[in-house]
Amino acid sequence: MQATAFPTKKAAVQKPNHLLRLNRLLILFLGLMVFLPQFNPGRISMKINENASLFTTAISYDTLTNTMGRPLRMGWVLPEHFHLLMGGAAVILVGVLLCAVGGCMSLGNNRMKRCAMLLPLAGSVAMAGGLVMINHVYNIFINLEKADKIEPNFPNGIYVYAVVTALLFITALIVWLRLPRQVEEKMEMEEKYRLFLMFLPVLLLAFVFCYLPIYGWRFAFFDYKIGDALTAENFVGMKWFTYLFENAATRNDLLRVLRNTLIMSGLGIATSWFPIAFAVLLAEVRSTKFQRLVQTLTTIPNFISWVLVYAIAFAIFSTDGFINSFLRNVMNIAGANTDYLANADGTWIKMLAWGTWKGLGWSAIVYIAGIAGIDQQLYEAAKVDGANRYQCIWHITIPGLVPTYCVMLLMSIAGILSNGMDQYLVFENALNKDVIEVLDLYVYNIGIKQGLIPISTVVGVFKSVIGVTLLFGANGISKAIRGESII
Amino acid sequence: MSKKIRNQIARKPSDYIFDACIYIFFGLFTLLCVFPFYYLFINTISDNDKVVSGLVNFYPIGFHINNYIALKDVADLGSSVIVTVARTIIGTALMVIVSAWAGYLVTKQKMWRRSLWYRALVITMYFNAGLIPWYMNMLMLGLTDNFLAYILPGMIAPYNIILVKTYIESIPASLEESAVIDGANTPTVFRKIILPLSVPILATIAIFGAVGNWNSFQDSLLLMSNRPDMYTLQHRLYVYLNQSSNLSALVSGSGGLSTQAAQNMLSSKVIKYTVSMVTIIPILLVYPFMQRYFVKGIMLGAVKG
Repeated sequence: MQATAFPTKKAAVQKPNHLLRLNRLLILFLGLMVFLPQFNPGRISMKINENASLFTTAISYDTLTNTMGRPLRMGWVLPEHFHLLMGGAAVILVGVLLCAVGGCMSLGNNRMKRCAMLLPLAGSVAMAGGLVMINHVYNIFINLEKADKIEPNFPNGIYVYAVVTALLFITALIVWLRLPRQVEEKMEMEEKYRLFLMFLPVLLLAFVFCYLPIYGWRFAFFDYKIGDALTAENFVGMKWFTYLFENAATRNDLLRVLRNTLIMSGLGIATSWFPIAFAVLLAEVRSTKFQRLVQTLTTIPNFISWVLVYAIAFAIFSTDGFINSFLRNVMNIAGANTDYLANADGTWIKMLAWGTWKGLGWSAIVYIAGIAGIDQQLYEAAKVDGANRYQCIWHITIPGLVPTYCVMLLMSIAGILSNGMDQYLVFENALNKDVIEVLDLYVYNIGIKQGLIPISTVVGVFKSVIGVTLLFGANGISKAIRGESII
Repeated sequence: MSKKIRNQIARKPSDYIFDACIYIFFGLFTLLCVFPFYYLFINTISDNDKVVSGLVNFYPIGFHINNYIALKDVADLGSSVIVTVARTIIGTALMVIVSAWAGYLVTKQKMWRRSLWYRALVITMYFNAGLIPWYMNMLMLGLTDNFLAYILPGMIAPYNIILVKTYIESIPASLEESAVIDGANTPTVFRKIILPLSVPILATIAIFGAVGNWNSFQDSLLLMSNRPDMYTLQHRLYVYLNQSSNLSALVSGSGGLSTQAAQNMLSSKVIKYTVSMVTIIPILLVYPFMQRYFVKGIMLGAVKG
């Protein structure tokens, strides 16, 4: 009954077009592959930089050939070959671009779709042409006189691209043939898709810089050094995960680093009420001018980097710094030349002190704003009941700040493993390394400085997973107790 | 507690002692926050001989700005300044544009799968793959030893997007609706209505973003290992501070300096102080402007969703 009552509406509901979806998925996959070095069809010689993706191959001659210096100098290969290779890659890129535009346009109405499907058709033809060009360069390479020196290689990427190109062509063609001939007057697109396409660049940026790094977790499963390729031979499975706990040296390192991390975070959490005290006491100051002055000046350190904090520490505490010159020249203590930075005494407390120096004024602002937001009638009522100022603080001001404090506390518990590395990096030296190295710094030290990519990736994976678990745990607690989510 | 109410509460002698304690505490802490900057500054403008012997502790002795002039001869400093200024300007501008555009679009309920995309953006604030995977990703994208590495990743700032979104939601919807009725499309509405109305929040994120860019150190440390000429100023300062050898060797020739000024510049301590000061000064200059936006920036972030 319903269906016959609204025949037009039923006709307007389109059947989901699976082939079109497949087509879009292929285009998406293609767009991703362009940036992944593993699928580079242009790596037709083992000597070509293996960090070069198709995109890099097409746009950067330097990256493409920076490992080819000797063969080029000796004339085993000619720059022309690489120009041809770049040309091929560029043609493929143009094809991919056409497909991408087509994929976006295929969200429109039938007229737009008909037009859109022509683009992947053209794009796949272009890509096929590019592949042929690359294949041509490969044929030149294997017939070169010194072919063995440049190790020609038929990259898997060519097969992958060929398959995707063929599939794209076929699906686009079928979709195009199946689309109704009688179409709308104008090309149009529903607003929801228009908005989505306008938002797409932002999403792509976020994907490339925030989600794509997860793909880097694969290094945890390989015996990898910078410059190696990831192959079946150096795949080691879970080796590094167990190595981390079975190898006595790394286990001890990890325990030491975890101890430092937890102590530093623990000290931070134990002193997390400082900003409240700061804000409450500042609110008790009678002179508004003085209040504003204190607030202004104590917030400055928050905005300088940790390097600058270290520069200041250097100016005050180093051998020639303020403390020593003061002791020498004002107090006349001749032997005062201790370098307070170059020792390991009380490192944890010192780090806490620097953190407090830098952050206290800033952290207090949120509570100062909170105090300003407390209902003044509460104080008036308390005064009528005969409360003194301490009772007002204790029974009105502080309870008013507790909800904010809870959020802050839960967030810092969730971030217990992430102290950041800047602070500890700048204050690190040979003497205090054992007590100052926190997890983030440890990852930097073994990953970047020592080049142990797999192990440091494993540590990073653990840290990310634990961090997310803690965050959701904290969020769950917050929801259960306060009925409010913190994220 | 407002002043009026507080003054109605009778004050006992113990209150005066309490007040005095508060004043002393805040006075000391404020001094602690300011004195290091002052100390650095007086040591860069005082007579260098006195500075080296550690006599300049509380007030400047002698006055000259030769140290600042001599900085132009400190090797590698110039390129760092240019790189840092460039990234601060370009990076901040692009970040603001992207945040404004993204923050506007996520207010559009009609967008296909809006909440999914919005959540995907917000999650990135709390989750990251880790330092090394991030580094390997940048390596894969060819963004090592490349100026673009300073610009592109910084364009996405989820927290700022949330700030802008929250702000735009507070703009009356009728303004936008009337423009749409007059035939304006989304980009036009954004340019003609949303942008002018959200200047306050854009100024807030711009100024915080600029300070963040100026302070950037980690990306330079990780990604520019083969390009010392692309070190940011903070990274350069870090290198100087850790140079135990005589930094004055960095001052290439006297190049236009009078001999006396060149001699004046000999101490590496003074160079370190002066470079530190040059790195701090821009922050102190924009600081008064930032202050106006503190509370706005913090409090808006509390209203997420």
